[in-house]
Amino acid sequence: MSTQIEQQETETEADEETEPEVESPGDRRRAQRDERQAQEQAQREVEEETLDDEDTITLKVFRYDPEIEGKQEPRFDDFRVPFHKGMTILDALIYARDHYDSSLTFRHSCRQAVCGSDALFVNGRQRLGCKTQISELEDPIRIEPLPHQEVVKDLVVDMEHFYDQMEAVEPYFDADETPDDKLEEQRQTRENREKVKMSTRCIWCGACMSSCNIAAGDNEYLGPAAINKAYRFAMDNREGEDRKQERLRIIEQEHGVWRCQTQFSCTEVCPKDIPLTEHIQELKREAVKNNLKFW
Amino acid sequence: MSQSYNRGTVEDFGRWREFTAGMWAWIFHKFTGWVLVGYLFTHIAVLSTSVGVDPASAQAGSDLYTSTLSGLESLLIVRFLEVGLLAVAVFHILNGIRLLMVDLGVGLESQDKSFYASLLLTGAIVIASVPTFLGGKLA
Amino acid sequence: MAQHYSSFDRGGRRWLFQRLTAVFLIGVLAFHFMLLHFVNHASDITFLGTQARMSQVSYFATMWLFLVTATFHGVNGVYNALVNQGLTGSRKNAVKYMLGIAGLLLVVQGTRVSLAMTTLV
Repeated sequence: MSTQIEQQETETEADEETEPEVESPGDRRRAQRDERQAQEQAQREVEEETLDDEDTITLKVFRYDPEIEGKQEPRFDDFRVPFHKGMTILDALIYARDHYDSSLTFRHSCRQAVCGSDALFVNGRQRLGCKTQISELEDPIRIEPLPHQEVVKDLVVDMEHFYDQMEAVEPYFDADETPDDKLEEQRQTRENREKVKMSTRCIWCGACMSSCNIAAGDNEYLGPAAINKAYRFAMDNREGEDRKQERLRIIEQEHGVWRCQTQFSCTEVCPKDIPLTEHIQELKREAVKNNLKFW
Repeated sequence: MSQSYNRGTVEDFGRWREFTAGMWAWIFHKFTGWVLVGYLFTHIAVLSTSVGVDPASAQAGSDLYTSTLSGLESLLIVRFLEVGLLAVAVFHILNGIRLLMVDLGVGLESQDKSFYASLLLTGAIVIASVPTFLGGKLA
Repeated sequence: MAQHYSSFDRGGRRWLFQRLTAVFLIGVLAFHFMLLHFVNHASDITFLGTQARMSQVSYFATMWLFLVTATFHGVNGVYNALVNQGLTGSRKNAVKYMLGIAGLLLVVQGTRVSLAMTTLV
């Protein structure tokens, strides 16, 4: 990131040392430590200089802007970005935006894989920008907005449809009855927590829905993220029975769980490693068992 | 807000670099399914035209049913189509078994390996059956 | 078994039936192929041979069940493939009824063909 490079430069300037005239043991140790640090710093700089010369990566980024003459037809822009160890796609994009083209537009926020803003289509696959290392990708790196969604500008897609599907499963708790004592907690066993643990990790990034071919074809399909959300509540023992039945009713509609063809793409691309297909399958079985009871 | 850009489905498939096992399995299963349904209707249609058989000619082995079938079987192209049908049916069955396992929640961790296994097994069975299918009377 | 052609609303029932018919079809289709290509050569099949097989009650019943389950499995599969591709609204209903009718016709015609092959009736 651009700020980090500036910090390194200020550090080098503060390296000059003068030896103290009267040395106490403490002073001597501090002097030794400072010398050692200066040597390491110099060594790192030499390495990084040579790295910078040889190690650059090329980004091919999708550009589109309906308001700018030259960008009304989508095109790909090339950016050469210096590579440093541990660099992520987000780092590279921010460098490109800060140094080359400040109109490059993309969503990002936490840069630590919890906000779900920067899901992108990189080298033919959905990935989270801040979580994906440049070193595991083939140069040149092709970055596009998520497939199967309308592009607003550059790498930004319209997420409204995704949010609609998430809201459609009513993703909130409702216990049938709260404990008698107002201050008592609603208990959950450790096993039950383990069961829903993975499903709670969803960051609403939209990668899964974008990778699903059924979601692409059928606009009414709830999608893996929404069904996973339903799973998270339906399988939680603290939820009331009525609420669970209502929730099952929502997801067992024609465009709910039954549309899943177990393509597994969602599970492959989820940045939080949620076993989405497995959860959808469990809900299918749950729905079948639930219905069998009423025959 | 100005117009957003819709990139369309065909373009999407073109850009996909990493086709995963699960995606291939879904596509093949659909394709073989369509072929098999098409064959089912065709099969009943062909049979329909060749029954209604006169008992006397049946005894002589010269009835419409027998002659229709042996007539078809005498064409080499039909033999090859039968091998194709076998391949399609075997894949649909083997991948279908894989899907049943997935539906039961068994072996989800190796679902991609089981896809490759069903492809290999399909190939093996088809190759092993070719002699039998191409053998027999040819006019 | 005519009811299941009309209750297309609850996706769960059709999903379950698709799997149940699948299990049955795995066995019967493999059996059909084996019998007609390996035990007997396809080119050696005569009407008399077919008639002999179809005149056994158990074989006839199996073949008829084969016809019905295959029709359901196939027609339901086609319907689902179309819905996955985005078929909705009134077009979906039209397709649904047409497929149902096509399936019904296939079973009727298949039954007539089976009856023509047997001496049981």
